[in-house]
Amino acid sequence: MWRNNNFHGGLAAACLLAALSSEAWADAANCPAQIALGLTTALTGNLALLGTQARNGVEFAVDDINAAGGIAGKKLQLSTEDTGASSTDALNAMNRIIEGKPLVIFGSMISPHVFAQTESATKSETPFLVGATNAKVTAQGSKWLFRSHVHDGQLATLIPEYLVKTLHKTKPGIMAVADDYGLGASKGIQAALATLNVLPVAVTSYAPSDKDMSAQLLEIKDKGADSLILFGRPADVTLVMKQMGDLGIKVTTIGNSSLVAQTTLNNLSAAEADGGLAIGGMIPQTSTDAKILDWTKRVQEKYKVPADNFTVSYYDTVYLLKSIIEKVGCDKGAIRDALAATRDWKGLLISYQADSAGDLAHTLGIYRNKGKTPELIGSIKEAGY
Amino acid sequence: MGQLVVNGLALGSIYALVALGLLMIFNTVQIVNFAQGQLLMLGAFIGITGAVTHELPISLAWLATILAMALIGVMFMLLVYFPLRGRPPFLVVLTTIAMGIVLENLALIIWGPLPVSLPSPVRGAPLRFAGVVVSMHQVAIFGTLAVILLLQFLLLTKTRFGILMQATAQDLHTARLVGIAVNRTIAVAFALGAVLSGIAGLLVAPLFLAEPTMGGSLGLKGFVVSVIGGFGNLSGAVIGGMFLGLIETFGARYISSDFRDAYAFIVMVAFLTAWPRGLLGEKASEKV
Repeated sequence: MWRNNNFHGGLAAACLLAALSSEAWADAANCPAQIALGLTTALTGNLALLGTQARNGVEFAVDDINAAGGIAGKKLQLSTEDTGASSTDALNAMNRIIEGKPLVIFGSMISPHVFAQTESATKSETPFLVGATNAKVTAQGSKWLFRSHVHDGQLATLIPEYLVKTLHKTKPGIMAVADDYGLGASKGIQAALATLNVLPVAVTSYAPSDKDMSAQLLEIKDKGADSLILFGRPADVTLVMKQMGDLGIKVTTIGNSSLVAQTTLNNLSAAEADGGLAIGGMIPQTSTDAKILDWTKRVQEKYKVPADNFTVSYYDTVYLLKSIIEKVGCDKGAIRDALAATRDWKGLLISYQADSAGDLAHTLGIYRNKGKTPELIGSIKEAGY
Repeated sequence: MGQLVVNGLALGSIYALVALGLLMIFNTVQIVNFAQGQLLMLGAFIGITGAVTHELPISLAWLATILAMALIGVMFMLLVYFPLRGRPPFLVVLTTIAMGIVLENLALIIWGPLPVSLPSPVRGAPLRFAGVVVSMHQVAIFGTLAVILLLQFLLLTKTRFGILMQATAQDLHTARLVGIAVNRTIAVAFALGAVLSGIAGLLVAPLFLAEPTMGGSLGLKGFVVSVIGGFGNLSGAVIGGMFLGLIETFGARYISSDFRDAYAFIVMVAFLTAWPRGLLGEKASEKV
């Protein structure tokens, strides 16, 4: 009897699951046979190293989803347009993507490009998912724009706090790449240091095309800095760290994820990399989860470029979109509403939660290089999350 | 202060190397090759392919790069210069800019966007005196520049081939009429110009890494240096390179690092306005 009851209970549960499942897919079943997605990112020019990480993350997820049967049997079809390094080209790329009437558009992590594109994406009433890190990207008032990567505003607050309160450094020098990204972060860091009653001993920058940063480093050294806050992209952060080694400058160095990115560490010696600290988007290389490590290996094998924090966030974004389409189908407005209602959606490394501005990521990793190997010291959440 | 001088001179030496390649072509066909920086980038990546990807001994990788660059120089001439020969010079100059963009994107396709390092051909502990550090690689850059300057000077002034090159530069048609193998002379000039850029690339990559867009800024600085030194003058290019390296380094240290790139172009405009012949050369406004 017990076995019989158990059998019937199991059958009922299976029916319920099937019903729920078919209900969940009911909307997705109304999607077109090919679900069109658009991506604009920098694949050429001096931002290509960054831009390809967005392409790798989105494309890898799309391929994985399609290989597993798509969404309710519907395949994702990704169109990609190259923005190059210019905001004008980024806008043109966006307009070409919009002409293809995609269900969702992925924008890059390059903030000036996203600023140029937001109006077009908003007018087309298409969900616009980006990784651009300028804090003001989600303050443009577009209800269609969402960001799946942590932003400079979060870093600019947390890095000085960690440096002063945990590492007890009170004479930092600041060095940042002289573009929208670096200079925005530098201003935020100076403001955050001021609230901690700390004045940086030197504030310097370098052009994105600069190769020799020794003058800035010597200024920081000459002014007696006990630490360096470094904000840049992997290629230039590598040069700064190499040149610090060449000049014999040994101070605590802390910055964004570029300090622990595999693309940075590949070109540094263990001595040059050792001790570098970073707070930023979560990188997959430090995970102890075999599935994450396998994913990292597969990305590396396919693209010959190590996955970084951006690759993770773009990959997660596509899967978040998949879960939403399964629930609400292919209506753009419904997808937008579902994105805005995101709560504790579990990605590869972090959970995502939408705030009122459209920011989805609120968890950052704290890393330290042990030789050439980055180690996760811990994670830190934005206040209120 | 001493460290700034050393680093400024090392940076200036690299600019001077780019300028010497630029002038090798300019002194023969009177065309400014704005893809010189991209040729430098190709040299760096070919060296990396040899020394890092195929793990060749560094000397062999250098030799392979020099040979490959000579070939690339000739191909560059065939694709860019020959089809537009006899047309207004600005058309050829514009084509060199376009070719630079093509080379950059070609490199992106072949080698990808990742920055890559090349081992230095010299090893050893850095020299240290009075708190100033000079790496062995910086010593190698100074030494290479001196040797190349000397060889180029000897080639142009003491060899029959150098005289043929100068004759070709002065009047191509007359040179042909008097029996000079003009095409061969121009081909050698392009080959040598590309080789010089390739060597600059091999020296830059261990210091600054190689990536597909590395050539744009360095190529422009090579042009600026040529203007400062006096267009066409080899010693002027070297002095101009050192001058610009020091201006950039001291400007970044004592004025502002925000305008480091701007210093080069402010100095160039100042020279073109107040001293168009440059430090040692002819009137730049007539040459460019």
